[in-house]
Amino acid sequence: MADYSISRGAFVKGATLAGAAIAAGFPAFVPSRGEAADVVKIGQIAELTGVYVDISQPEVYGAQLALEHWNNKGGVLGRKVEIVLEDDQNDPGIAVQKVRKLVNQDHVSAVIGTVNSAIALSASGAANSLGTLYIVTGGHTDPVTETQCHWNVFRTCHTAWQETQASGYSIFNKFGKRWYLVTPDYAFGHSLAAGYQAVLRKLGGQVVANDLTPLGTNDFSAYITKIEPAKPDVIIVLLAGADFVNFLKQASAYGLIKKFPIAGPQAELEPFLALPPESRVGYWGIEWYYNSDLVFSKKNTQAVNFVKEYRAKHGLPPSARSVFGYVTLDRLLWAISEAKSTDASKVARKLENAHFETLWDGGAYYRNVDHQLMWPNYFAEARPYGTPSDKYDIFNVLDRQPAEKISKPASEQAQACHLNYPS
Amino acid sequence: MLANVAPSVFNGLILGAFYAFVAIGLSLIMNLTATINLAHGSFLTLAGYLAFTLVSKGTSFWFALILAPLLTVVVGVLVERTLIVPLYKRDPMFSLLLTFGLALIAEEVYRLIWGPNGVPFSAPGVLGGGISLGFMQFPTLRLFIALVLAVAMALLALFLWCTKFGLRLRAAVQDTEMIAAMGTNTQLLYMVNFALGMALAGLAGVLASGLLGLSPTMGNSLLMPAFVVVIIGGMGSLFGSIVGGLLVGLAISITTLFIPAANEIIMYILMAVVLLIRPRGLFGTEGLFG
Amino acid sequence: MSRQTQGYIAAIAAIALLAIFPVKFGSFSLLSLLHLDVSILSEMLLFAIAAMSVNLLLGYTGQMSFGNAAYFGLGAYGAGLSIHYLNVHFIAATLIGTAAAILGALIIGPFLLRRRGIYFSLLTLAFGQVFYFIAYRANQFTGGEDGMSFPRPYVGFAGWHTNLHEATFYYLMLIVFVAVLTAFWLIVRSPFGRTLQAIRQNELRVRYLGLDTNKFIYVALVVSAAMAGLAGALYGLLIMFAAPLMLDWHQSGDFVMIMILGGAGTIWGPVVGSLIYVIGKDIISTLTQTWQIYIGALFVICVLAFPRGLLGTLLHAIARRDVGAPIVEDTMPHTAWETGTPTGAAAVAVEQKEL
Repeated sequence: MADYSISRGAFVKGATLAGAAIAAGFPAFVPSRGEAADVVKIGQIAELTGVYVDISQPEVYGAQLALEHWNNKGGVLGRKVEIVLEDDQNDPGIAVQKVRKLVNQDHVSAVIGTVNSAIALSASGAANSLGTLYIVTGGHTDPVTETQCHWNVFRTCHTAWQETQASGYSIFNKFGKRWYLVTPDYAFGHSLAAGYQAVLRKLGGQVVANDLTPLGTNDFSAYITKIEPAKPDVIIVLLAGADFVNFLKQASAYGLIKKFPIAGPQAELEPFLALPPESRVGYWGIEWYYNSDLVFSKKNTQAVNFVKEYRAKHGLPPSARSVFGYVTLDRLLWAISEAKSTDASKVARKLENAHFETLWDGGAYYRNVDHQLMWPNYFAEARPYGTPSDKYDIFNVLDRQPAEKISKPASEQAQACHLNYPS
Repeated sequence: MLANVAPSVFNGLILGAFYAFVAIGLSLIMNLTATINLAHGSFLTLAGYLAFTLVSKGTSFWFALILAPLLTVVVGVLVERTLIVPLYKRDPMFSLLLTFGLALIAEEVYRLIWGPNGVPFSAPGVLGGGISLGFMQFPTLRLFIALVLAVAMALLALFLWCTKFGLRLRAAVQDTEMIAAMGTNTQLLYMVNFALGMALAGLAGVLASGLLGLSPTMGNSLLMPAFVVVIIGGMGSLFGSIVGGLLVGLAISITTLFIPAANEIIMYILMAVVLLIRPRGLFGTEGLFG
Repeated sequence: MSRQTQGYIAAIAAIALLAIFPVKFGSFSLLSLLHLDVSILSEMLLFAIAAMSVNLLLGYTGQMSFGNAAYFGLGAYGAGLSIHYLNVHFIAATLIGTAAAILGALIIGPFLLRRRGIYFSLLTLAFGQVFYFIAYRANQFTGGEDGMSFPRPYVGFAGWHTNLHEATFYYLMLIVFVAVLTAFWLIVRSPFGRTLQAIRQNELRVRYLGLDTNKFIYVALVVSAAMAGLAGALYGLLIMFAAPLMLDWHQSGDFVMIMILGGAGTIWGPVVGSLIYVIGKDIISTLTQTWQIYIGALFVICVLAFPRGLLGTLLHAIARRDVGAPIVEDTMPHTAWETGTPTGAAAVAVEQKEL
């Protein structure tokens, strides 16, 4: 038997004592939340550890900015607003527990957040059973506002379908009809692929191949070597996050990006900045951008100031993710003040179909049939080194599509989504 | 599709060389002390980040390629001497659990130091492009990785077979008690062995950062493949890890060509098959873990 | 008062404490003092059961399983799928989930039995990952990465039933937990359990006594899977969700860690570990964004200073102080890797040479 060189007795004694002391004093360390009744609390779940921190953090920053703006105006319902932030650790189970904690212990009036599609779904269910309003900031999977919609759930970011419709036509017109799809093998990826395939069917295009790549693939060489012999007109990259970075980095090394155009439905600032400049290529659907007249003109003071403020605070320009966080909290607080109440169904009714102007031109509204935010989607070309005056300005927005054109019609959504308001 | 076989095979072999490179540091440490280092990915990531910092401060990639692994060795040996030495006498399970905890700490520390976003790191221009091989264009960096692996293995072999210290190391892998009874300083052996493992991990990490996106979680994605390679190739055998790596790379590549849906599972199926038929792996030593 | 009586009293006291934890005295409860939701207490109990399943294999049979999350996940998906497709009620869903896990163990058990020691552990890991990828890929049924949402059905029959809100759910979990704990305790004290411990100490010797160790380990595997599956099914019902990550090796590692934190080879060890890990992680992650450093440090400190786990160390210290009282043979957690006697392939080789 192995034995130990540390003296057991003293150690055990000391540790037990320490443990007892901590256990006794612990409640003192726990911040007293839920005490002040004169604060309106909004819960936010976000991925603060794990693989999505880079896109989740900007959502947190965006929401914080909205919080400051509202508090500067005196808060809502005559009270200050506070965000209670919880790390959902990329785990749908933990997300559910955090939502329950936020509602039951912190007494939040509503919950916002997440970039993770699975969490968007699990948290939606949890919020629904608690009767609490929940607005998904950055989880794109279609079911959130389709088959798994709820009366208390709204979504700010675009749906997978909207993204494909927005970029699909532009890509077809620009590059041609033989498409090679590189699809991450999960529900969101499949939705994107299905969306593009629908576009192609309409336009008479052809899917040369649809390669499903496992999530978290670190080597795409096997897929990359299959692409060239297929001689597509364009390579459609549906990957996101680290997969996206790995793929582009590696495809670049194989010379693929010089031979074929690359395009896709969703490019984000954060993963793009993680790429070495020579890999920052392609034509991409993009949900928002901080420097483009097609997104907002200089006359949109709210947007201009948002960019200025955010950039000054965080050193980086705001991304679509920042906007998700900002707009979500902004509209939530607006709805609460309009409803003159934090009651979830009253606030939900106020949110529905309320048109508003915000950080892009053209306005937006949460559609009443599925609670999906209806706003434009854009199409941009990557600019590897930015501009001489701004190295972060790596997208050049070329086109924009209004929401109605790229969304599934309300009648279709009404079939798929049954909100089931409590009577 | 058959026209793709040649490029896929070649690609698979070179990919395998990369996996072998990632696994070899792990194997070295495991062979001598039965330490299962679940923080291996963290050391890979550390080396990448160190190289990134060095390069952004103005050093050349080549200089960083040497210095970052050396720094990783320093950190690694510090960790070993303080945290892992107490575990040498114990069941390997504990090193597994301790290093698992270290990996958690490391990921968050990297996030605090270098931020949550991936950082743009790439090999310099000369390694960045591709070489035309006739039947395909192949990334120079991957060929370079295979080359570095070959050189590193040659140097390691030289060390292990042509120096006295190397001899003692090899003897210790076979029978630590005996070599200690003969008067060798086993602690020094452990330390040097760990340092070697760290050096290889560091090299692999810098090169991996050229292939993959460099982020706090980069190394985690390489951890399981590294283990599978060591298991298939055989615990206790460095040569086995190389062969194991090549096999795994080849298997993934061919599976992606013919049955893409299975290409992540194939690694574990191979592992299960090896464990069931010949548990010590292709070239492993019997009884390394009892 | 004998140590054994003290043990019983401590156990009853612990259960009583767990029962009153969420009870409100005025506007306070022990729970709200710690700023916890009752739902996390349920999770703690369920993870304790899952850790017990690993404990059965490691602490008592000497085999480390890194794939028990597969059974956990099978339980959750079994429950979820049966609710989604067959519209069953709570108890049926739980039983189906447990059955799914048992089925999983029955299928891969024969493969696992061929090896011992680290090879056994690696096989559990490999098979666990295969299950994980199946859950991931079969996304028509399981929802894949998106996971599977399902409602929580009521407990009971068409004639009489009650919906389970979180507090009621917790007390139901407490009942289940006590039942499982008692069953576990009975199992390890039974001749079967004694045999398992004998196998842990020296499998070859047990074989020489004429017992087919493979059968014993197989049964242990199935019982372990049943426990993990039960925990998984109930966890799925707790969060009303099933996700592929529930089957992943990280989840298995969590269960192992919980067992080690509390003390492998002890009855209450997994509970203590679950308390520390599940509750501790919930509290720390609420307090700070860098919680991962603290949890990692917890593992490191535990391994270095408390290899027997917190409870295990305490029990061991008590046992050593009892001069004259029989000291239970060292229950120091170890797999069959480090004993001097040949195990695993070597043991098989020895046996074959004898024949």
